[in-house]
Amino acid sequence: MKLGTLGGTGRAGMMGRIGLFLLGAMILFALLGPLLIPHDPMERTGAPLAAPGDGHLLGTNDIGQDILAELAAGARVSLTIGLAGAAASMTIGVLVGVLAGYRGGWTDTLLMRAVDVSLTLPFLPLMILLGVFLGPSMSTQILVIAILMWAKVARELRSQILSIRTRGPVQSARAMGAGDGYILRKHILPMTLPLLIPQFIQAVTASILMESSLSFLGLGDPLAKSWGSILFYANARSAFLTDAWIWWVVPPGLCIVWTVLGCSFIGYWLEEKASPRLKSYAAPAERGARGWFRSRPSRTAASAAKAGETLRIDGLTVEYPKPDAQESVAALRGIELVVKPGEIVGIVGESGSGKTTLAAAIMQMLKHPAESAGSIRFAGEELTELSDRELRAIRGHRMALVPQAAMNALNPVWTVRKQLTEAITCHRKLSRAEMEKRIGTLLEQVGIESRCLQAYPHELSGGMKQRVVIAMALVNEPAFVIADEPTTGLDVLVQAEIVALLQRLQQQLGISMIFISHDLPVVKRIADRIVILERGAVVDEGDPEQLSRHSTHPYTRKLMDAIPSIGRLEQPLERPRPAQPTPSPEPLHAAAGR
Amino acid sequence: MRIAGKLLQYALVILVALTLNFALPKLAPGDPLSFAIGEALAQEMTPEARAKAMQEAGLDGTLLEQYGSFLKGALTLDLGHSTKLGEPVVDVLADRLPWTLRIVLPSLVLSALIAVALGAYAAWNRGRKRDLWLLGGILTMESMPGFWLGMILIAVFGVQLGWFPTYGAAPLFSAGGWSYAAAVLQRMVLPVATITLVSLGSYFLLTRSAMLDSLGQDYMMMAEAKGAGKRRRIWHALRNALLPVYTHMTMSLSMLVGGAVVVETVFSYPGIGSLLYESVLARDFPMMQGVFLLITLAVIAGNILADLTYPLVDPRVRSRRPREGTR
Repeated sequence: MKLGTLGGTGRAGMMGRIGLFLLGAMILFALLGPLLIPHDPMERTGAPLAAPGDGHLLGTNDIGQDILAELAAGARVSLTIGLAGAAASMTIGVLVGVLAGYRGGWTDTLLMRAVDVSLTLPFLPLMILLGVFLGPSMSTQILVIAILMWAKVARELRSQILSIRTRGPVQSARAMGAGDGYILRKHILPMTLPLLIPQFIQAVTASILMESSLSFLGLGDPLAKSWGSILFYANARSAFLTDAWIWWVVPPGLCIVWTVLGCSFIGYWLEEKASPRLKSYAAPAERGARGWFRSRPSRTAASAAKAGETLRIDGLTVEYPKPDAQESVAALRGIELVVKPGEIVGIVGESGSGKTTLAAAIMQMLKHPAESAGSIRFAGEELTELSDRELRAIRGHRMALVPQAAMNALNPVWTVRKQLTEAITCHRKLSRAEMEKRIGTLLEQVGIESRCLQAYPHELSGGMKQRVVIAMALVNEPAFVIADEPTTGLDVLVQAEIVALLQRLQQQLGISMIFISHDLPVVKRIADRIVILERGAVVDEGDPEQLSRHSTHPYTRKLMDAIPSIGRLEQPLERPRPAQPTPSPEPLHAAAGR
Repeated sequence: MRIAGKLLQYALVILVALTLNFALPKLAPGDPLSFAIGEALAQEMTPEARAKAMQEAGLDGTLLEQYGSFLKGALTLDLGHSTKLGEPVVDVLADRLPWTLRIVLPSLVLSALIAVALGAYAAWNRGRKRDLWLLGGILTMESMPGFWLGMILIAVFGVQLGWFPTYGAAPLFSAGGWSYAAAVLQRMVLPVATITLVSLGSYFLLTRSAMLDSLGQDYMMMAEAKGAGKRRRIWHALRNALLPVYTHMTMSLSMLVGGAVVVETVFSYPGIGSLLYESVLARDFPMMQGVFLLITLAVIAGNILADLTYPLVDPRVRSRRPREGTR
């Protein structure tokens, strides 16, 4: 495997490559150093405390031993103990973790209790205590490291196995009668292996650091040179009080830093690669300065917004560049859309059709690394050309978003009152009384009791949270609201209430609205005009009646015909059924086929 | 139920620590009596004196009886006598603990403050150059052994530049009053700096990853859609990211007490850590066991503190307050 492909691309990949280089170089030093350096680290080969120079590249210590030779010998000891300690603790940890996670029940309870206790015991003093009682030697060090580190491995592995065990493939393998050995080998092992490697690297790092601490406290093997023991002697003989610290104290520490850093970089890179959670956020590019985020001049810039249009989108294209490739994935292609004052435009499409990307693009809140082109004019202003500051003044003030997944749109650690007030203070200063009044009216409009203001989000039901989110969107009386799947995750009755609420508020306040949903019947009921999105493009558009009756676009027809109408429901369903309830010969297969 | 489980857990940890203290001298190769009263003393005793000493040290009788009397002693804070200093272990511990706290507490606060600020900054700028430079720098810091960093700081700031004394916690001779306080403060600087620097890493990484987690949450999108500015949005995310950091902080108080061992050793700072080191050098086993037990208790105190105060920072685990009457 070449280093280039091993390290991957991107900045995390660069860190991975640096890490591999650091560690590789140190391993080479450990392997070749003692062969190439002409001095024996245990013998007196020079004058005491000789400065670096001829014959002794890094000088000598107080009894005249060559420091470079000591470092090379130390590299062997430290790396050996690092690897052996990590291997030992991983072995115990994996055994315990697999046993606990796989067997469950009281085995799990008992083992996890042991893990908890072992993790609570203070690390360093226990290490010292064990080191002292077991007597200083290399095998003691490895044993101590294993005793101290197995628990962490066991705990992480157990939780991984627990989550894997409940997944589909394992469940179905078990249902088909697969044995434990088979499941462990075919399912558990391949899925945990990518997670075990970073843990092994971490264990190596910790082992090397522990070895150096133990040796520094005089608990290393007295017959072996390690980086820690070099420092032990340097400290005991107050090397830092003389000039010798530069060649006696600094290099062993740098060796430790070098090795541990190599491991950490590799670990960071592996973790970044393996954990999708960490991919959820990336710093957005700063607007303006960076050319690649700034929209290219829109091709329809000439078609200035006509007076009286709330929103006009022309030729909007959003692409997500694929990492490692020149091509990119188009989320939206050439969208044209107009929203007139007081109009509700429904946007319908399957998931993945670009609905949410469209909402984010209008709000100018596209996630990195999206690239967009085209023109978005809001009340005549070109949003793509505004600065962060100007946009902030519009968002939540003149143009608001009721985001998808409103269940989690409220900050869990703050009260409803704090979050509502914040929505106001982001844009204007109100006196206390005015603020109270504004919030009071708002709560009445969205139908929340005022005592909910003191509540934290987790104390509210889904429907209540959705109302709070709507209140937050409307608090500054925006002219235009985007409601992105505002009924996701709510039960049917509450869904109907929320839709009715939005419709009523829209009429009362005369706002324009984009209503995004995959639920065509709902959209048909409240929208003045419907836009159908398919794979990032507008494929059909029209008023609900017209679309449902006269549209000839195949996709629209498919959607429209899928709506069960009352008229059609009255006809008996003409699905062939078995004449009499004969038991199906292979019930399992029938169930599996569904 | 949850509380009972936790208390059981803590009791179990203390019992395990005590049992280790009891069992290690028995399992280790060597004479148990010399572990208890010191090798030199144990070797030159007559058989009669030895039998008497065994009895006094609680080393006669069956293993179970020994265990029982050992536990009883521990519960009455009788941890034996230091073989090196001749004083009761508990007294020596009480004497040394304040010094450790004096350098550990400021380090705890400083490292948490600095690391949280840097971690939040790095997360906000994730993937940019400054994030990676910070990350690289912190990982480098994290990979330095504390004792080595301490030695370097002594060599540079103590010896070469002569800014700070490099030894001990208080001047040997002093007029007292302000000059004494100033001298003590001056001797705190380097140890505190060392502990702060080496513990920055864990806070930084924790804050950064918790912050990244928060930044990807839906409420951050809502905050942006509200028109909240950068500062408000950072605070939205940070307030949530602080929860794990807070837990880590309460729990790591004890970690620091333990971790100060090597740093105190380098600076000859008269706290628990160098006490442990001195005991190791002198093979003063009762003292070592006492330090181990003390630090175990500190861990548990930290855990209990975390359990008790966590509801104050996270409303989700706070019990539901009755809302009637609060308007």
